[in-house]
Formats: sequence, C-alpha cells, structure tokens
Amino acid sequence: MTLDPTVWPLLWKATLETLWMVLPSALLGQLLGTALGVWLTLTRPGGLTPNPALFRVLDAVVNIGRSFPFIILMIVLIPLTRLLVGTSIGSTAAIVPLTVAAVPFLARLVEGSLREVPAGVTEAARAMGATTSQIVTKVLLPEALPGLLHAFTVLVISLLGYSAVAGAIGAGGLGDLAIRYGYHRFDTATMTVTVAVLLLLVQLVQWLGDRAEHRADHR
Amino acid sequence: MTIATPLTHVSSPAAAPASAALELRGITKRFGGHTALEDFTLHVPRGSRTGIIGRSGAGKSTLVRLLSGLDTPDSGELHLGGENLLTLSPAQRRQRQARTGLVFQHFNLLAQRTALQNVALPLEFAGVPKVKREAQARDTLAQVGLSGFEDRYPAQLSGGQKQRVGIARALVTGPELLLADEATSALDPETSASILSLLTRIQQERDLTLIIVTHQMEVVRSATTHVAVLDHGRLVESGETGRVLANPQHATTRALLGAHQPLAELAPGETLQQLTLPALDAATLGRLAALGGRVVEAQPTVIGGRQQVLVWLGVPQHLSADRLLGQLQPQAEEVA
Ligand SMILES: Nc1ncnc2c1ncn2[C@@H]1O[C@H](COP(=O)(O)OP(=O)(O)OP(=O)(O)O)[C@@H](O)[C@H]1O
Ligand SMILES: [Mg+2]
Repeated sequence: MTLDPTVWPLLWKATLETLWMVLPSALLGQLLGTALGVWLTLTRPGGLTPNPALFRVLDAVVNIGRSFPFIILMIVLIPLTRLLVGTSIGSTAAIVPLTVAAVPFLARLVEGSLREVPAGVTEAARAMGATTSQIVTKVLLPEALPGLLHAFTVLVISLLGYSAVAGAIGAGGLGDLAIRYGYHRFDTATMTVTVAVLLLLVQLVQWLGDRAEHRADHR
Repeated sequence: MTIATPLTHVSSPAAAPASAALELRGITKRFGGHTALEDFTLHVPRGSRTGIIGRSGAGKSTLVRLLSGLDTPDSGELHLGGENLLTLSPAQRRQRQARTGLVFQHFNLLAQRTALQNVALPLEFAGVPKVKREAQARDTLAQVGLSGFEDRYPAQLSGGQKQRVGIARALVTGPELLLADEATSALDPETSASILSLLTRIQQERDLTLIIVTHQMEVVRSATTHVAVLDHGRLVESGETGRVLANPQHATTRALLGAHQPLAELAPGETLQQLTLPALDAATLGRLAALGGRVVEAQPTVIGGRQQVLVWLGVPQHLSADRLLGQLQPQAEEVA
C-alpha cells in the first residue's frame, strides 16, 4: 500500500470542494432552519401564538423533508437546482439539495432547544409586557444559544456526510475522491488518507462546536 | 400607636376604605369545565400588604395571572387605581404590565443573562436605551442588597439572591402593584424571612400595594396587613390580618391556621382592638393585663424601618377600649 504523491493536490482540491459545499449550506440551513424552528415553536399548541392548522402543515413539511434519503432528495431537486444554479452538476450545484436537507433537520433541533427554555421564563417576559418578537429575539433565542450552537455542530457534521453522497453523483469533494480511488481503483492508500481528512474535519468541527457551546453556556 | 380601623370584610361594603388600589368584582375564570375562580370580589386597599392564602388548587395563581395580565377572566371587572384593566388594548395592556411587578416562586430568571441584564430586561422591552436602563438596574440591585453581584449569572447566585434579583426585576419599572406568588416557597425558613422583610421594607419605602400569595399562614402572619382566604375559587374570608388570625370565621381559615395557635381565643363579649408596640415584653404584658386587656394575637412588623409588634387585644365590653388605649399610649411610647 503506497501513496501516490500526485494525490496531495487532489486531496487539497477535494477538501476545498467539500468545504465549499458544506459551509454555505450549513449557514443557509442554520438561518432558514432556525426561522422554521421558531415558527414551529410559536404555532404549536400551547405556544405563544398557537395556530393548529399552520403547525400541522409545518410539522408535516419538516417530517417529509427529514424522511427523504439524501440521494433521492438530490435527484428530486435537480430541476430546482438547474433553475437556481444553472446546472445540477458540481460542488456549487450541491449547495441546493444540501441546504434543502439542512433546513428541516435543523428546524427540529432548534425546536428542541427552544422547548428547553422554561415556560416560566417566557411567562415572566410576557408579564413584563414583551411583544412576541421581543420574546423570540431577547428571550427564546439567547436563552437557547448553547442548544443552537450544538445544533449547528451536528448540522455541519451531518452535511459533511451528505456531501460525500453528493460527491458520488458528480459534486466532487472528499467523498467523491474516496469512492473514485478506493472503490473504483482499489487504491486503498488514497482512500484511507481521504477518509482520514474527512475524519479530522469532523473532529475539528466537533471540538470547535463543543468549545463554543461550553463558552456560551451560563446555566 | 395605631387604633384599628373597622374590619374591611367584602361583605360589608360600607367598611371599604376610600382609596381603592385594586378592585376585583365578580371575577369568574373557568378552564374547560373546571371553575378556578367563581364570583370573586375583593377590595385590596392601596398601600396594603395583602396576603392571599388558600390550599393548593384554590385559585391563587389563577388570580395572580389575571392581575398581571397574563390571562383574562370570563366575566367580572378588574380595576387598578380606577383603571379598568379588562378594556385595555393589547398595547395599553403591555404598558400596564410594566406598572405591575411580578415575583415568582421559581424566580424565572434568564440563565444566559447576568443579574444586571436580568433586572434591565423590562426596561429593554420598554425601549429604554442601554446606558440608562443599566444605571437604573444597578440602582435597583443596590436596593435589594445586591451591589457587587451585577455581573453574576443566576447559576452563580444562591436561592435568596436569585429571588432578590427577581424582586429587583419586578421593581425596576417602578410599579404601583407588586405581586409575589409563593415567592418564598422555594427557600429555606431563614432566607424566606429575609425575603419577606425585604418585600415589607420595599412596600413601605415605595408605598406600593403588595400582594403576597402563599399557602403558609406564617407568611401571612409575619408580612401582611390584610388577608384574603380562598377556597375552591371562592373568597371565604378577608380583612385585617390580625383580626382574621385572632378571630377566624371560616373553617378553611381555621384549618390553614392549623399548627399556628392564636395566643388566646377571643372570649364572648370581648371586642378586638389593634395597637402597635415597640416590643411585647413582660413589662408591657403586665401593664396590659393590669388595664384589663388580653393579648389574643401578636405579629412582628417593620414600621418606618423600625421593628414593631402589632398586637390585638381582647377588651371586655364593660371597659372602654379608648380609655384603655389612651392609658397605655404614653407608657408604650416611653418604651420606644
Ligand atoms: N391553564 C389551566 N388549565 C386548566 N386548569 C387550570 C389551569 N390553570 C389552573 N387550572 C386549575 O385551576 C385550579 C386553580 O389553580 P391555581 O394554579 O390557581 O391554584 P393555586 O391556588 O395557585 O394552587 P397552588 O397552591 O398549588 O399553587 C386548579 O384546579 C388547577 O388545576
Ligand atoms: Mg399557585
């Protein structure tokens, strides 16, 4: 098992492609997913602005979004991706399905963290005369910050995994490299190194995420 | 020395004092088929410390939620300082809420904010600029004895300190009405006592109306001037604390008094008189006895920053209460 030195530039390029797929979709997913998570929290029965009909719709959308296997989601979304990016192939195109997968995934996690904010705290804010938007921006989201950071960490790591699937159907990145060399060419060395880089990325994200979460947590 | 005013029982409207801080009329609140409050009428005198006592499920917290604007009754009227609270627009209601402070059993502080930021929160909602609201929050924290704790997070505070932050947060907007729902129930007896005396001091300094909700008669006894007893969503008895404790009329009140034995029962033919003494020592007791009065109830209190004792005397009808009190007054003041 020897490593071909020409693999290093490939590995570097693949790492950048992976980051280019994952980071924008993680940020977009965090943004939209948080909004959807807040919406779910507000409209659920017993929420600040209960709306059972709307809640059922949002809840169903999130469930459907989450139950789609990512590879199917990518294929289903090809028309949308073409519309938005102009092509359905390549790292940039992968951002679309990755974001679409990220939103419901994150919305659930956000909803969970918001639910951990004690009802009494929200009630105290209401008794002080806070508006609903003040409660969201000044109470719920800041109080749930550690949970939101945790959700972001989990999201980035999951997207790293999804991006490998995206790589398999032409998006490039580390997953693509591992599959091309390891699976198609039986180049175990290259595959091992590629997987090691992916592993390192995951470790780094987890470490950074834990640190940020710990620092933000005053409970 | 204070001579007792007539018993302000709701069933005798003629006895109601002139200045009405809080007026509840025929309030009914239902949750599904369950009636939490039924035809509830109560007058809470301005500047009083009124205890609301009742067993678990009696409707005390429901009442607090109505008074704080967190919930609305199904019927009835709610007036605070002459203003009908139930006809306010949502924006007016929010403004109104800033003038009613609420203190909670479990503090309900924001864990991710420092003590100072917690206290400043109501002002932040009201749109007060940062520098101003933090200065105000700092002052209010000092008033509850928490100077130097501004930058602590709730997790770094003891239960009593957390409740002080909760009280400061309720006070920072300068409310006229302060509601404390079981504010000492999560605290040990010593801390409870210090929180109750803080509430008493603040009520006096700021001349606000304080409502203390509790299921403990000791809280009523040590910190309130008036009391209303709730049972199954109904008001069963109300009036000046000393009178109610000395001469409970309703079975619920007696049951709640339970462990707490009045010093003596009011005998038939005796009338009840209230007076304030600097201390209830053996000498004072002797003098009272010599004059023909019998102590039936006593309650420590703080008046004008000084420790005093509210005393209720059973006075035989053949004695003129005025004369008895008149004779006692100079001597009582000598002691002070
Ligand atoms: N949101 C609600 N939905 C349904 N029932 C309620 C609700 N809030 C209160 N109740 C019911 O109303 C009654 C009065 O409740 P409340 O909380 O006012 O009692 P409480 O006197 O404060 O009791 P505790 O001393 O236990 O705090 C109870 O029977 C309670 O179950
Ligand atoms: Mg209660």
